[in-house]
Amino acid sequence: MPNPPSKKEIFLTGLWKDNPVLRQILGICSTLAVTNLMVNTLVMDAGLIFTVCMSSLTVSLLRKYTPMRIRMMVQTLIIASYVIIVDIMIKAYLPDISEALGPYVALIITNCIIMGRAEAFARHNPPMSSFLDGLGMSLGYSLVLIAIAFVREPLGFGTLLGFSIMPEGFVQWTIMITAPGAFFTLGILVWIMKYFRPQPGGEER
Amino acid sequence: MKKQVLSVVYMFLITLFFASLVSAVKFLSQRKIEFNQAIKLQRIVLKVLGIPVGKGISDEDLMQLYKMRVRNIEVRESTLYVGYEEDGQSIAGYAFPVGGPGFWGPIQGMVGVNPEGKKILGIAFYKHSETPGLGGRITEDWFAEQFKDLPLHPIEGDRNIFYLKPEGTAKAPNELDAITGATNTSSAVEAFLNQELDYFLRELWTSVKGKE
Repeated sequence: MPNPPSKKEIFLTGLWKDNPVLRQILGICSTLAVTNLMVNTLVMDAGLIFTVCMSSLTVSLLRKYTPMRIRMMVQTLIIASYVIIVDIMIKAYLPDISEALGPYVALIITNCIIMGRAEAFARHNPPMSSFLDGLGMSLGYSLVLIAIAFVREPLGFGTLLGFSIMPEGFVQWTIMITAPGAFFTLGILVWIMKYFRPQPGGEER
Repeated sequence: MKKQVLSVVYMFLITLFFASLVSAVKFLSQRKIEFNQAIKLQRIVLKVLGIPVGKGISDEDLMQLYKMRVRNIEVRESTLYVGYEEDGQSIAGYAFPVGGPGFWGPIQGMVGVNPEGKKILGIAFYKHSETPGLGGRITEDWFAEQFKDLPLHPIEGDRNIFYLKPEGTAKAPNELDAITGATNTSSAVEAFLNQELDYFLRELWTSVKGKE
């Protein structure tokens, strides 16, 4: 039996090796929805990092007491509570961004990464590892979103974080603003990832 | 049996804890959220009435300015915002909310008209779900600016108050530039805004005049 993974390995697995978006293809809905502006992307990332870390931590803390049969209910409740807190905070302190993100903040609840980590990791592992696992996974998600926004905002709006960066007379690529642009960008990223790091058991082996 | 009871009690306690937590956060932020919404509305009303708001004005100063220059009146169950000149006596204009279906979802906006109800002072769209960068450009200044000084008259037959034409082809004073690439949003705005302005002129305007 192999040794349990070290804290560092847990963290790096989520961040890179099993990256939730590029490897597990999870959390795609929000990836497509919010990445046409970098500001929105960063706020979404912050919301997700908070929610995943806190819900993984809480699920792990309660893992010895939660009856098996109702664990999903408990997890959903925990996740929903944290998401609503994030939503309220953004409404109170970042009202403009709250409007731009629209329903997507509340929809963090349905992000498969969160429940996925609670089910696959947090309910079997101690709190500190679960927190790190959540942190790695959510940072991995964030990195991919930032990378996509880094392509979409300049090509779609000619700006980055609201500052004009494209040369005068640049024609905006409308498709980059809408969902298809996100699909293409994400598809290309997944392709690059597969090319450089073939998955074990994949066709490359 | 005992296990089932335990599950119910456990779920109850967990729910109680998290519901209390969320309620507490909500309670503590409620005033801030309402304040944000009020400020946003006041900013829009001042803008469409053409009352200059200094750049980078603080929220408190904005509220102060609003208090001095704007009064709300109720007309036929809708709220009208009456803007006053700096002397606080003469009327600078009236603002009223407009809204209707856009391409993807409802669009809400605010229109300011001059004291005679003959032309538009300003317009702003502040809530919509149109495509960012396309239909979403209805919130941009250039689009709103064109409505300034648009002459108003009730719709007669098929003569609308204004028409949106492909960018660059608008000539008459009642022709404005549509948004290129957002034909559906443009025609939606044209349709509901003509109706809303017409309703204001026909229904609300007489009541406003009656109140003075």
